[in-house]
Amino acid sequence: MEAEKKPILTNHYYEIAGLQLELRFPSTLNLDNVLSSFVGFRKDRGDGTSVAVVTFKEEEVPSEEEWGALRSDISLVWGDNFRFYEQEGAFVTLIKHNVKDKQWMMKSTKDFRESVLYGKSEDPRMGEFVSWLLMVVFGQVGLQHQLILIHASVIAYKNKQGVAFLGKSGTGKSTHSRLWLQHIPNTELLNDDNPVVRLEEDGKVMIYGTPWSGKTPCYKDKRVELKGFVRLEQAPLNRFTRKKGMEGLIAVLPSCTALRWNKDLFNAMTDTLSQLVDRVNVGHLECLPDADAAKMSHKALFYEKNSDEVVA
Amino acid sequence: MKLRQDLVLRKVGDDYIMVDPSQGMVDLSKVHTLNETAAWLWEQLTGKEVNVEQIATRLCERYDVSREKAIADAESLIQEFDKAGLLEA
Repeated sequence: MEAEKKPILTNHYYEIAGLQLELRFPSTLNLDNVLSSFVGFRKDRGDGTSVAVVTFKEEEVPSEEEWGALRSDISLVWGDNFRFYEQEGAFVTLIKHNVKDKQWMMKSTKDFRESVLYGKSEDPRMGEFVSWLLMVVFGQVGLQHQLILIHASVIAYKNKQGVAFLGKSGTGKSTHSRLWLQHIPNTELLNDDNPVVRLEEDGKVMIYGTPWSGKTPCYKDKRVELKGFVRLEQAPLNRFTRKKGMEGLIAVLPSCTALRWNKDLFNAMTDTLSQLVDRVNVGHLECLPDADAAKMSHKALFYEKNSDEVVA
Repeated sequence: MKLRQDLVLRKVGDDYIMVDPSQGMVDLSKVHTLNETAAWLWEQLTGKEVNVEQIATRLCERYDVSREKAIADAESLIQEFDKAGLLEA
């Protein structure tokens, strides 16, 4: 009898938005090469507080009948190649490929605290796939810690306050951030695609950089206080409208990540979001891609009422 | 007839809202808004059997309103809830 050869795994720890993420990957892999955007978030040693554990299994992806009921096939990142399934006690996230060997699959407990990742480490796109699957995990697990992964481009202003620009893909979130960088002094890009907003225990709302930032390599382990959310919409003019209560919630909700099929996770998100929109500014900016648009959102958030500062 | 148990009523700013995540492949999630009276009734009636009589009684207890008017309002409220998909199937 021959014993099954099990690869030796190494535990890796990362801290993102104050939460510890634990990865168990084969010791032969150089994870810093695979997940280069995570390097700045690495912790030398972990403690017992991991909110999620993800284990890599270099095995063939289990066959189709084991995936469960199809819940969604819509992903902006993966287009037609993405599938999301639900089964008894588990969610399955699949990145399809017509070559079966190149598929990636992740099976997670319903609360996403434990996941197993299936794929091949020789896949040249491994880093991209694993990073995205980890974003799925973190986005869902974070909801249980008053934290929401949002789709936004974020500017840090004067190194202490952040503004998150929201909008559908192609609306010009990144463009609006660039306009701030060019025309508003003391600004820095904190994240260009997937920052995290967290309601802290002291009631403050903070926004964090993450290892996920879309096409812009901007992976900052840094946080600032969130001043506001601004939903952008392309228009033939520049106009800023403040949104309160329900309107504020509706302006931010479509940019939040929560599985609609898990009531606990979705309710956790809505709870946190309800509190967030009561604590920070929410606005809608109809805008052109010009300097005046950036100046308008800057003025609305930092120099008008509901602001800490007064017009000089 | 009962109110849907899975919906959570929340106060956001001055508004009472319930977010109803759609369960289909396409995200058609809805946000319902309730006025103060409807929100109060929602809390009173959660988990209980809902009918026109009961709602009317509660309305009469809380507001200075005739029984006829309360019954008419209760009927239209149940219709609204039903139309918005807020009643248990």
